[in-house]
Amino acid sequence: MIRFLLRRLTFALLLVVTVSSGALLLTRLAPGDVTTNLGPFARAEEVARTRARFNLDRSMAAQWGGWAMRAIRFDFGDSFLYNRPVGGLIRRAAGNTAVLAIAALSLATLLGIPLGIISGSRRGATPALIRGASLVCLSIPPLLTSLLLVAIASRTGWLPAGGMTSVDAVDAGWWSWTLDVARHLPLPALALALPIAATFERLQAQSMAEAIRQPFVVAALARGVAWRRLLIGHAWRASLTSMCAVYGLAIGALLSGSFVVEYVTAWPGLGRLMFEALRARDIYLVAGCAAMGGVFLAIGSVAADLLLFAADPRVREGQTA
Amino acid sequence: MKPRLLGIVVTAAILAAGFAFWRSTSALQPIESAASAPAGQRGGQLVASIRAVPRSFNRLVAREQTTELLSLLTQGRLVRVNRSSFELEPWLAEKWEAAADGRTFTLHLRPGVTWSDGEPFTSADVLFTLQAVFDPKSESVVANQLTVAGKPIAAMAPDRQTVVLTFPAPSGPGLRLFDALVILPKHKLEGALKDGTFLNAWNSATAPSEIVGTGPFVLREYVPGQRIVLDRNPRYWRKAADGTQLPYLDRLVLQLVPDQDAELLRLQSGDIDMTQSELRPDDYVGVRRAEDQGKLKVVELGVGTDADAFWFRLKPEAWKKDPRFAFVTRPEFRQAISYAVDREAFAENVFLGAAVPIWGPITPGNRIWFSPNVLRYPHDMNKAKDLLKGIGLEDRDGNGVVEDAQGHEARFTVITQRGIGWYERGTTELRTQLAKAGIALEIAPIDNGALIQRLLSSDYEAMYYRPLSSDLDPAGNMDFWTSGGSGHFWNLEEKTAATPWEAKIDALMADQASTIDPEKRKAIFNDVQRVFAENLPALYFVAPRIYYAHNARVHGVVPSVQRPPALWSADTISVR
Repeated sequence: MIRFLLRRLTFALLLVVTVSSGALLLTRLAPGDVTTNLGPFARAEEVARTRARFNLDRSMAAQWGGWAMRAIRFDFGDSFLYNRPVGGLIRRAAGNTAVLAIAALSLATLLGIPLGIISGSRRGATPALIRGASLVCLSIPPLLTSLLLVAIASRTGWLPAGGMTSVDAVDAGWWSWTLDVARHLPLPALALALPIAATFERLQAQSMAEAIRQPFVVAALARGVAWRRLLIGHAWRASLTSMCAVYGLAIGALLSGSFVVEYVTAWPGLGRLMFEALRARDIYLVAGCAAMGGVFLAIGSVAADLLLFAADPRVREGQTA
Repeated sequence: MKPRLLGIVVTAAILAAGFAFWRSTSALQPIESAASAPAGQRGGQLVASIRAVPRSFNRLVAREQTTELLSLLTQGRLVRVNRSSFELEPWLAEKWEAAADGRTFTLHLRPGVTWSDGEPFTSADVLFTLQAVFDPKSESVVANQLTVAGKPIAAMAPDRQTVVLTFPAPSGPGLRLFDALVILPKHKLEGALKDGTFLNAWNSATAPSEIVGTGPFVLREYVPGQRIVLDRNPRYWRKAADGTQLPYLDRLVLQLVPDQDAELLRLQSGDIDMTQSELRPDDYVGVRRAEDQGKLKVVELGVGTDADAFWFRLKPEAWKKDPRFAFVTRPEFRQAISYAVDREAFAENVFLGAAVPIWGPITPGNRIWFSPNVLRYPHDMNKAKDLLKGIGLEDRDGNGVVEDAQGHEARFTVITQRGIGWYERGTTELRTQLAKAGIALEIAPIDNGALIQRLLSSDYEAMYYRPLSSDLDPAGNMDFWTSGGSGHFWNLEEKTAATPWEAKIDALMADQASTIDPEKRKAIFNDVQRVFAENLPALYFVAPRIYYAHNARVHGVVPSVQRPPALWSADTISVR
């Protein structure tokens, strides 16, 4: 188990270094740099000063080397846009994204898994309806879902149309603040969760359909085990193996989806921060966001492995052997 | 069946309870209910959107839109250019006298003004601010604006309430230049200036309580990525005509909404009261509907002071041996384009009719400097074709595109910013109209960063873009007009004027900037506009009419065609 975890952690570290270094170098290579934010007609000396401040006057290798040495000491450089160290910005945004991601993942799980069990184990109109709804949710891009939900929230007033807290919560205590965040959460969480829930539903339905055809399930049915118990206690457990692997990917999907969802719903998370950073070519902020994105992916991957480890005895046996 | 039915009922009850919970938590109320406050009365909270975070709370070192907005809300200037009338107004300086030579101004500071922390505002603060601006370590973004004839404006203080400003040379704009100078508190920032850290002082990580000012509001809270909360400055010096202490509002919240579509939806829903930008042509219909429902008030601000420009790169070395430069550089070629464009159709198709034809960079929105007598090119396709023929461009091979005697076609790639509706419509309309004259355009919308990089490196053939003027007064826009300027975009920062007409404009602008008499300045600048219109280094077709919408509960807005359209005069705004 320890060897398994160490291997996964080494892989996670490599992932973070590769993703953040890649982001830094690609931002450097992309047309335009952070000085374009000074406007088209900024004075040459102002442009030169800004380039020097962000080490853009050095070679790419020298810039990467300097950044990597500082990053080891958890100094990820300064953001041009926010004019402050990247580290604090990322910590705050990552926390907000984690809240949103957990809510969205929970929502996707609560919606996708039960619906997948239903559509994978039955025939008739209900599974067809679920399948159709899933296909719709998979086809609509998150940008459209977000705008649609913002429009509905704006027109009905049922939920706040954006942001993480309301402006009236400035003087609120922590309990009111928590309630306020909870009111703002459903809209972006739903926008993020819908395509993931649809993915879960489709995969769960498929693995459920395969599981109920397994000989041990047929044998249990022949022994007179109740259908509902058979589904949950036998078939669903057997189908979990393939679902666990998908959870790691779902974390990645949450991050990529959060780019646009957080932007449209004004959720102050990592996705929006990275979107702003990319648009402004804010090089160290891009690299920092990518590093944190890598951390999220690694956590998702390790979590999926641990789930698989817990759910599948074959994996456990393989590890201990 | 029965357990299933029970399950459905329980689930529905849980959902209903959950919904009631969400609704009940919306009981978080603003600090004061503004529902009963009549117009012009104090109290209430206004929520405005911003689309970007501030880079700094120190306007002397950052100039982007949100920093500028915050400086208008929290700080004061000696004098202010009224964004609505464009007139110069006394502000922290109550009155002044100008010497006959036009170089010396004696300003008398408004008595009784204090900083928001209670410290008195004095001439020492003015001297300190100017010292900070011209300290090289500060890298101030306003230093250039306060430099006349290459030298800084000097200041001295005979007493605590008087400042004497001495310009190194006569200056046409005179005290108007000081609209750019936000006065900062010596008692708070002197240490930073002394130890060379002024550039980073009052950055966006500074605690709000550290930021003091003489403006109508004080910073209460800044949540990066979310909002900025400002409270009334209880020590603000200004009073309304009826004696009411300003500002009217108790609190102003600047909510970050990066996406413009979401911003509009939230404006229509009443979630935010106002934005910092004008409406896009595509938004008029939805907003008018909200106005009919009594939710919004739509204001026509007038004709915009900036317009989209279309130009060819006129830097000779950038074309190298490209034979097309031979005709691009001819004024007749650009005049032909101007004749070929039907500006009425352009306004209709690109701005849905909400634009007026123009023939130069100074639009009718700039009431002081616009010249109605500037040379015009009314739509005339025959004249356009004749001009092209006159410089040897004809459609010799019958493919619809004119070419010179050697077969080099008038075919160009135009780059513009991707994702801006009117840029993309504008370039498409231009392609359609110019095709009739035999000039072929290929449109390449690209990301703004890449566009700016290509503009600065002269790596393009033609461009369609809206370069914003930094000042309505032409003397504040020398970078655009003069050949060595960084805003002379068709041929950036020429070492010496590349053409005789540019040399002429250089001389006229130098004369205009150092002339004191407003009438003479206007006459000289009319000449500049005439030379520009004859040579057309950049072509302007229409100037948009600017519309602005705010919540109907907001009163006292003094609208401006310049940004910010409403909050430049936030102290007079109230809510019902």
